[in-house]
Amino acid sequence: MTYFAADVNELALGIFAIVVAITLSVTYWASKRVSTATDFWAAGRGLTGVQNGFAIAGDYMSAASFLGIAGLIFLFGFDGFLYSVGFLVAFLTVLFLLGERMRNSGKYTIADVLSFRMKQRPARAAAALGTLAVAGFYLIAQMVGAGVLINALVGIGFELAVIITGAFMIIYIVLGGMLATSWVQIIKAILLMSATIVLTLFVLGEVGWNPIDLFTQARAESPEGDAYLKPGLFLASPIDTVSLGIALVLGTAGLPHILMRFFTVPDAKAARSSVMWAVALIGAFYVMTTALGFGARAVLGESATEAVGTGGNLAAPLLAEEVGGGAGTFGGDLFLAIIAAVAFATILAVVAGLVISASGAVAHDVWSNIVRHGRDSEKEEVWVAKIAAFAIGAIAIGIAVIGGEGLNVSFMVGLAFAVAASAIFPALLLALTWRRFNTSGAVTGVLVGTFTSIALVIISPTVWPGPDAEGGLFSWYDLANPGIVSVPLGFIGCWLGTVLVREELAERNFDELYVRAETGLGAETGTGLTLTGRRDAPRTAATAASTTIPHP
Amino acid sequence: MATTESRMAGGSDHHPEIDWQAAERSPEFRELIKRKRAFVVPATIFFLAWYFGFIILAGYAPDFMGREFITDGMTVGYALALTQFLMVWGLGWWYLRKADRVFDPLAERAAEVALAAGTPGRARDDRFKRGAAEAPATTDEEAPR
Repeated sequence: MTYFAADVNELALGIFAIVVAITLSVTYWASKRVSTATDFWAAGRGLTGVQNGFAIAGDYMSAASFLGIAGLIFLFGFDGFLYSVGFLVAFLTVLFLLGERMRNSGKYTIADVLSFRMKQRPARAAAALGTLAVAGFYLIAQMVGAGVLINALVGIGFELAVIITGAFMIIYIVLGGMLATSWVQIIKAILLMSATIVLTLFVLGEVGWNPIDLFTQARAESPEGDAYLKPGLFLASPIDTVSLGIALVLGTAGLPHILMRFFTVPDAKAARSSVMWAVALIGAFYVMTTALGFGARAVLGESATEAVGTGGNLAAPLLAEEVGGGAGTFGGDLFLAIIAAVAFATILAVVAGLVISASGAVAHDVWSNIVRHGRDSEKEEVWVAKIAAFAIGAIAIGIAVIGGEGLNVSFMVGLAFAVAASAIFPALLLALTWRRFNTSGAVTGVLVGTFTSIALVIISPTVWPGPDAEGGLFSWYDLANPGIVSVPLGFIGCWLGTVLVREELAERNFDELYVRAETGLGAETGTGLTLTGRRDAPRTAATAASTTIPHP
Repeated sequence: MATTESRMAGGSDHHPEIDWQAAERSPEFRELIKRKRAFVVPATIFFLAWYFGFIILAGYAPDFMGREFITDGMTVGYALALTQFLMVWGLGWWYLRKADRVFDPLAERAAEVALAAGTPGRARDDRFKRGAAEAPATTDEEAPR
């Protein structure tokens, strides 16, 4: 892990500085334009489908995708690529089941959709709990990962790296809200895609332009031989593999920071096209992880196994250094520095998205609607959102610094996906499609989904090594991924809570939610906000008129 | 009822002036739902089956997935993984086309009907008057953007 930590990499720092300067100027621009709550959480609903597609890609592809999958493929071959497939297929769930419906029926947070036809306070509290659990676990994993990576790639200390990452994240959100966050994500997506394309071309050149040679050369470099191209080296338990697949494919459709992005476009059509843009980008990226991962094995060989670190996170940067000309050459240093800066931008974009979704749960759901009963002013709401974003960022920095490099974060991203798949996804889907579903069902489902996920991860071998140590109490349970148990339990919780209580209002208001979600009638309108200024009134008015219900 | 309304202030506003029950039962809305379901339900079942088929093979049949075919180095597993990418792009593109050509116009019709139908509980001829006065204007504004 301390491979590059011998001294500070000035070239990488310089490229970092350029990336940061660009994102900060975007934030400065945005800060002068963001004023209303719709601006702050939904970027004024003014993003185009293409822009939001890039932003979704930037929000979604974390350093775990970029460095983690390359590393897993480098170390374990085919199994690493299973993650690539799952992360992409998940977007069909989003496209078919939730994306447009969220846009049509929501305002700022997933709680708006969940609580639309329910008792506000319990339903919102449940949605906020789910959101904070997912965002919290994901955020801490990203912050610790950021510290470790920046430490390894640039040579600045772990604590300092965490604090810098957290500080920029807070600046983007507090000053520029969702508008700045979206553009940071767009810039990151462009950087990540460009760097990956260049790296892929260099790797293909290295193996003689025949993609098949990636596999044969990688196999030749692996002591595992044929097994390297087969499943089973990393995911040894078949049932665990299936369980992971469930969490990936349904969990993405329950990630609050991804779902929140659908509120930033003007209508359902733009929401739909943004998913397709995201799918095109994310798919292309994950196909290229073949070149990054198998390529790293083919080019770097077995001798690099120690240098890539325990999770293989340094495989991609080392690969970049090698194809750029090797360690010590200018080309090698430059490529390494660029990959380091891209990794940094990647982390910043993801953590910013996570914190803004968490700030929505705290300020819009808990403060405005639960504490203040929806009677506070919009100004107050935005203020509380900024304070919440600052506090959440500070807490995340604190936990990452106190926990230190040794904090076991390997299970946290998996846990975030498990909670999203078992708690948020079932409740949202049923709220939008099942008339009988009610407050009691939503609360029960979210609680059961969240706590079974957490409990199952705590007793899993990832966290509790050696079940025998507990006197064999857990010997019957050895899944690292809880999805196969917790997702059905989440749905059962939703169903059980629903059938035990009859809630007339929720059923009566289903017609309204259903018609609005499917047709876009009465959907929230935008403020005409763009990065370069507000759009002229006529266009905004026309857009608004197409979906707004005239008040009597 | 009054307390319920005030509790709902913070989220998306409710619009009691529309007869949502009638809108949900309108033939236009039923048609939209029918057509949408006819695509989304089979498409969802297909992609979940294709994906979990792949995952189950990866878990339980590693030797089959590791078998090489066509050429040395190309495994069944990797080829099946590539079909997943193609499936996502293909199904996504198909859905987009369907939504633009079929679902959006139907959704627009259903929304127009809901707006024109007006307030629940009003006298029938009153509703017709409202519809006559407002429907043409709404129709223009309902044009897709």
